[in-house]
Amino acid sequence: MSVTTLTNGVSWPGVRPWLGTVVRLGLAAVWLFAGAAKVGDLAGSGRAVNAYQVMPFEVAQVIGAALPFVEITLGLLLLVGLATRVVAALSSALLLVFIAGISSAWARGLSIDCGCFGSGGQLAAGQSPSYAPEIARDIGFLVLAAFLVIWPRTRVSVDRWLESTT
Amino acid sequence: MSKRRDSKSAAKLVQKQLAAERRRKRTMWTSIAAVAVLVIAGLIGWGVWQSQRSDAGPLVAPATATTTTGPTVGNGPVQIQLYEDFICPHCKDFENTSGSAINELVSDGKAKVTYNTVAFLDPASTTQYSTRSAAAGGCAADGGKFKEFHDALYAQQPAEGSAGLSNSQLISIGASVGLNENSFGQCVNSGKYKPWVASVTDAASKAGVTGTPTVAVNGQVIANPTPDAIVAAVNAA
Repeated sequence: MSVTTLTNGVSWPGVRPWLGTVVRLGLAAVWLFAGAAKVGDLAGSGRAVNAYQVMPFEVAQVIGAALPFVEITLGLLLLVGLATRVVAALSSALLLVFIAGISSAWARGLSIDCGCFGSGGQLAAGQSPSYAPEIARDIGFLVLAAFLVIWPRTRVSVDRWLESTT
Repeated sequence: MSKRRDSKSAAKLVQKQLAAERRRKRTMWTSIAAVAVLVIAGLIGWGVWQSQRSDAGPLVAPATATTTTGPTVGNGPVQIQLYEDFICPHCKDFENTSGSAINELVSDGKAKVTYNTVAFLDPASTTQYSTRSAAAGGCAADGGKFKEFHDALYAQQPAEGSAGLSNSQLISIGASVGLNENSFGQCVNSGKYKPWVASVTDAASKAGVTGTPTVAVNGQVIANPTPDAIVAAVNAA
């Protein structure tokens, strides 16, 4: 980025850590909502994973049960800002898996709900899947995660606090 | 350049290197800690799910059902598999439009119908109505009134997002279709068939059913299950 100063002498290096905080909290909210929506119905979460038909049912059930807890933990780590770069990198990896899964469901002509924010992967009869918006949304989240991989130092974070104490 | 300045800048360099080393170590350990926490969270999820499954009680199937399929009505040669959720509004629409055609196929002796009453939509009520109502359906099957109870539940379907019908409402509906209030009520209140509902739901998901209603005739899913399409599929089978 060639922009070194934004407006009125507010410098990019000065703004970036605060912008990073906003991005971090935004991505934290995404994971917390996604996890919270699924954690109350772990069996449904397993069915949502199984609906993609990429792994045996028994494996999908285990992944489906583990996933909401992992998502909530990603959200909490981002919320406090601990190990931001690694957590953002893992977030990116998980989002890429989701995007690949939705794309492959689309390519195979499956008719499912992505199950991203709960709902167990089933579509109501007559309801058509909305793969393109789901992928676009996940790419948006991926941009947030990528920002934090590139610039993991953010204000109001445990990372920053640790840096100041050691 | 004096010697003193040289040693001063060398000391600075060492300081810098030490600081960088500390930073590297700190980043490494926080990263390891974060990954460990994520792995533990995943394992906790697995554990919670396992305990939820084993807490549910023994798996027993009601009359006319198996441990993985719903109650069956009729004894015609062609097998119709229905996948329905008692709170699903589209299932109610389906029952209204195609229910009588299916009833006719059964009464004509052409087909038998297995009502796989799944609980896909437990989060759509605040009281897991899908599981409770389907389990009550199992109790109704034991009392020989599954179809009557099934039809009555669709006639009085609660809205999505509501608390659903309470157990006592389910019991009085059962009594109204001729079920013994005591034995049926005891069965509903004990949640005897909840593990069976979970098992039927899992089996449906495993079979690739991702929505309700889903209709299959002799194993062949009918994409648009209109009365005509179902009758045609049964006649062709």
